[in-house]
Amino acid sequence: MDFQAYNKILICKDDIHNVLVDNVVIGYQFKIKYPSYRGAFLSCIEALSFEVDGQPIPASQVSFQLNGKDFLLSELSECFKEYWFVRDPATIFVRVFGGIAPGEHKIRVNMTHRVPYTGYFGQYLTLVSDVTETRMAQ
Amino acid sequence: MSDIKLGISLYSFSTEFIHEKLDFEGICKKAHDMGYQGVEIVAAQMVPEYPYPSDAWLAECKAILAKYELEPVCWSAYIDMGIRGDRDLTEDEIIQFTVNDLIYAKKAGFPMVRTQHAISPKIFRQMIPYCKQLGVKLTIEMHHPHHPEVPVWKEYFEIMKGEGKGWLGFVPDFSIFQTMPHKLYLDQAISFGCRPEKLAEIVELHRQKADYSVVANGDFNDIEKHTAEEMFGKFSAPAKMEQWKDMIDCAFYMHGKFYYLDNDDHDPCIPFEEIVAEVKRLGYKGYIASEYEGHHFDETIDSEEQLRHFVALMTKNIEK
Repeated sequence: MDFQAYNKILICKDDIHNVLVDNVVIGYQFKIKYPSYRGAFLSCIEALSFEVDGQPIPASQVSFQLNGKDFLLSELSECFKEYWFVRDPATIFVRVFGGIAPGEHKIRVNMTHRVPYTGYFGQYLTLVSDVTETRMAQ
Repeated sequence: MSDIKLGISLYSFSTEFIHEKLDFEGICKKAHDMGYQGVEIVAAQMVPEYPYPSDAWLAECKAILAKYELEPVCWSAYIDMGIRGDRDLTEDEIIQFTVNDLIYAKKAGFPMVRTQHAISPKIFRQMIPYCKQLGVKLTIEMHHPHHPEVPVWKEYFEIMKGEGKGWLGFVPDFSIFQTMPHKLYLDQAISFGCRPEKLAEIVELHRQKADYSVVANGDFNDIEKHTAEEMFGKFSAPAKMEQWKDMIDCAFYMHGKFYYLDNDDHDPCIPFEEIVAEVKRLGYKGYIASEYEGHHFDETIDSEEQLRHFVALMTKNIEK
């Protein structure tokens, strides 16, 4: 099946980091990349959700940060002028007081995305990239 | 000596690019070191800030190509019809994207833009004055699952042979000649849950031109049925060599698509020997791009090794 090997780049190898404002830990962040050989308009992301250690992260706690901007997950489908370059990681910021405990964590990313040019005979190809990786929190 | 030259689509190094083993300049250097001259860039892949690249980057792109003695051949664009979930692109949006790509190509020194079938005959025709003013040709890729018999292509050929002659053309991608699934596809199918002996049975049924219903109603699991459906859908209507003669005058460039080669001599999936013999016989002058695409299926394959097999195979046939 076309595109499947690109899922390997979805969750970046970078560690998970707690986010501090002065000395207050207001959340944690990790990085993801668009799983394809080329970039995508954010509006092609039809659904995006995250689990950490088996627990779903409520969308209301997540910010998707790219191109110097901060998007709600519910805003992505409207971002048809916002392009995600294939080598640029997006930062996923999860807002939670206290952040995340140091050590290993399982991150699961589930993205449904539309390939916008594949409507050769009508239908667009829609892919589901569902990847779980273990990453270290500092 | 032949008039056919072997070039490279830098997209062949997708694995190295997206896994950040090589950047744009590193890929250009690699292409140069391998002996290539003519290059194609897939803008949506390698151009930072695309679809709104800076003039500074476009000038830098031109300078990098010059530094590695590479000839810009083709700037590859898409018609991303489904950018929005609520509707397809409008005519004005398709025109805006296409004119922008013609401009970016010009600024980066490319004499040709390759776009996609979804541009529509009406807009394709409207691009003629832009092509003439900018001195940039516009081509549409004929890619699998399209083939010369798809109705819209009759209209495209009429325009290319008529009012667009010399400026509007097409880029046949050799995927249109593929007759059977490649090794990486089959390996991946096994990794997804196809039983090897069942997969071999499906490949044999496909080779014998059996109907897909034989698999649908047979003793196969869901992933085997899904794989068979894809296989029967994809590789059952390859283009024919005799179709070249009616369209070759419109071919400004060709995509030497391949997925996996384990030797320098032959690919069981795409009939390169026949393709090269026929386009030579018909007097094709121009580039055939080496276009390795196995990266869709397996990121552990060495792109450079694949390209070396392809160059050896093609060179033998071009010089025959």
